[in-house]
Amino acid sequence: MTERPGPYQRQQSGSPDRFPGLDVLGQARHWDSVTADLVTARLSPPPGLAFFAADQAACAGVLLNLLTGQQDDQEISVLHMVDARLAAGETDGWRYSDMPEDGQAWLDSLAFLDEDAAGRCGTTFAGAPEEDQLKLIQAVQDLASGTWHGLNAAHVWSLWTRYACTALYAHPLAWNEIGFSGPAYPRGYKNAGLDKLEPFEVRDARPSGDPIREGA
Amino acid sequence: MPGVRSRNESAWLLPNDGSRTNHRLREDMRRYADTDEIDLVIVGCGAGGSVLLQRLARAGWRVAALDAGPFWDPDTDWVSDEAGSHQLYWTEPRVISGADPVPMGSNNSGRGVGGSMVHYAGYTPRFHPSDFATRTRDGVGADWPLTYPDLRPYYEQLEQELPVAGERWPWGDPHGYPHRPHPVGGNGEIFLRGARKLGIEARVGPVAITNGRFGNRPHCIYRGFCLQGCKVNAKASPLITHIPDALAHGAEVRADAMVTRIAIDRESGRALGVHYVRDGRERFQRAAMVAVAGYSIETPRLLLNSACSRFPDGLCNEFDQVGRYLMVQGAPQTAGRFDAEVRMYKAPPPEVSSEEFYETDPGRDFQRGFSIQTVSPLPITWAEHVAAQGHWGGALREYMSDYVHWACLGALCEFLPRPGNRVTLAQEKDEHGLPVAEFSYSQGDNDKAQAKAAQAVMEDILHAAGADEVITIQRYAHLVGGARMAADERSGVVDQSCRSFAVPNLYITDGSVLPTQGAANPALTIMAVAARAAGQLAAGARSGSAS
Repeated sequence: MTERPGPYQRQQSGSPDRFPGLDVLGQARHWDSVTADLVTARLSPPPGLAFFAADQAACAGVLLNLLTGQQDDQEISVLHMVDARLAAGETDGWRYSDMPEDGQAWLDSLAFLDEDAAGRCGTTFAGAPEEDQLKLIQAVQDLASGTWHGLNAAHVWSLWTRYACTALYAHPLAWNEIGFSGPAYPRGYKNAGLDKLEPFEVRDARPSGDPIREGA
Repeated sequence: MPGVRSRNESAWLLPNDGSRTNHRLREDMRRYADTDEIDLVIVGCGAGGSVLLQRLARAGWRVAALDAGPFWDPDTDWVSDEAGSHQLYWTEPRVISGADPVPMGSNNSGRGVGGSMVHYAGYTPRFHPSDFATRTRDGVGADWPLTYPDLRPYYEQLEQELPVAGERWPWGDPHGYPHRPHPVGGNGEIFLRGARKLGIEARVGPVAITNGRFGNRPHCIYRGFCLQGCKVNAKASPLITHIPDALAHGAEVRADAMVTRIAIDRESGRALGVHYVRDGRERFQRAAMVAVAGYSIETPRLLLNSACSRFPDGLCNEFDQVGRYLMVQGAPQTAGRFDAEVRMYKAPPPEVSSEEFYETDPGRDFQRGFSIQTVSPLPITWAEHVAAQGHWGGALREYMSDYVHWACLGALCEFLPRPGNRVTLAQEKDEHGLPVAEFSYSQGDNDKAQAKAAQAVMEDILHAAGADEVITIQRYAHLVGGARMAADERSGVVDQSCRSFAVPNLYITDGSVLPTQGAANPALTIMAVAARAAGQLAAGARSGSAS
């Protein structure tokens, strides 16, 4: 990565205006029941957390919301999804030799964020002003493969973003933002090809809204 | 296709009522006792193990295959969902190291009956004739102890059994395919358009996805979730292409059975069978012959974990060859942005390929080459691509909202085999108390030059097709090697028939025996090597006297 994207910008909840009216879950009656049950269950995660203790959860919740660009009153419970994964030991099937296993790596890195916040603002990470929280996160990314509290910062960044992105884009509300039609069995797709849509798909209202071009 | 059904009836043994599993066939499956000395026990039920099982069951052998994972039912076990497909991957702990560590899991490691072919994209190209003699021809890599003509009849058989769909193939040994090419989606259109503008040859296929009915397997419905297990039974995996026929001919598939050690007779040095764990109980299956087909990480790990007094440094490891020359293909993925809606998820990820850059080109500054194929990441995988550009937070969400406008190509670069790229045993133990595998990987200069050239070609194609910008993520694909075949025991682990040099009744029949990897997806070649070994075994005597 030689270029850094523009400064962090708060986003309300993606771009709901881009695919107006798209409601992936509205198609759930056309999906096989195993898939439909799995996806709809993500709308109502079980209450409480199984992996993080309360103080860890406070730190992780803020971190995950900022990584995924969500308000505190987020609709998508990224924290719950990551917590459930860690409680179940559902790793990606590998770890870097210079990192602890994923669960421990999460706990360690959250503690280090709290340490950094204490040094910078005299608070926990969750208790710090948002501006400082963002700078503390950015500092880890900026280290690239440098060392952060004895860990390879790039490997920490990889851990955080892998878990955050997997949780966020497993959620049907996030699919609405990006125009993705979701599961397609047993119906399948009948209109593949450039600019071809299924009757239930919604065309992008801003097809030239290329973020890179706009930001250039 | 006359003849296919007479030698492999799998597609006709599947149900034709809209469900995907022949439960009766599984209920009626022959079951051996641990104390039966069966003719052959196979470790692993993926591309290599399943073909071996089916061939030898047909030849009348008493044979069982053990797999650490489940005996899948696509109707109830698989979903049209990325995150929900986690159980398809080998996610037991593994450690990765080296200068360029290779992530495992969903990228390259399967679990359960069907193996990694349950979640591979479906590309099934052959290797080129040159792949079998890169040392002689190009001065790099290794020569195989067999040649392309040795494998060709098995390629032809398997292309009919899967079956493979695609245009007539002009590269390597030119050949046709039994099923016509599939129609292409937006991503394939972009690739073909860009390639045409640049004068680069590209073709539709070759993919092991039915284009028309095949036995009781239906036509592909283009649902896009090939990498999450095909719920349609359209994409080939051994679960539907070889296991049904194997069961019908008396083979046993013992799922949820994790093999922990191969037992060796101290006096004779021959394999006696395998120790395994099932339902929390340690058991032992006797067998006259053992074939390991656990793929490039678990096969070396099992050999190393099977150290005994006769083989103190690990089975077949007297010359320190086990685990070495493990290869992954460099697989940079380059995406291009179009104002048109590509919606690359609306077709199988494998659509179009080009092997125009496969061979050594004297005009370039590296040996061997790469192929280029469409890949079509679903949202979670696409988010990884976008996040790799450094985006996070609101910027990530904004970029992701552009998903439907992107087309994505992937390269497969023939990274060269290196002795230091290998599996060893880590300090860490798994739930059975066995040391887990550590896979150390570092790239060479030739590898880096290939990946750079491949990225440039993909950028050119996308720009020629009209992309206003391109982004690339560096990644790897596939695994082969780790217990390679060679002319002698000082340079490899098995001979040209897949028999280990060290133990006369121990075979290795999976991707780990491949000495080079070409720039082709390995599934078909792994199957062909296993089919050839099976043919040699069936033609010879049982119990390891074949040669």
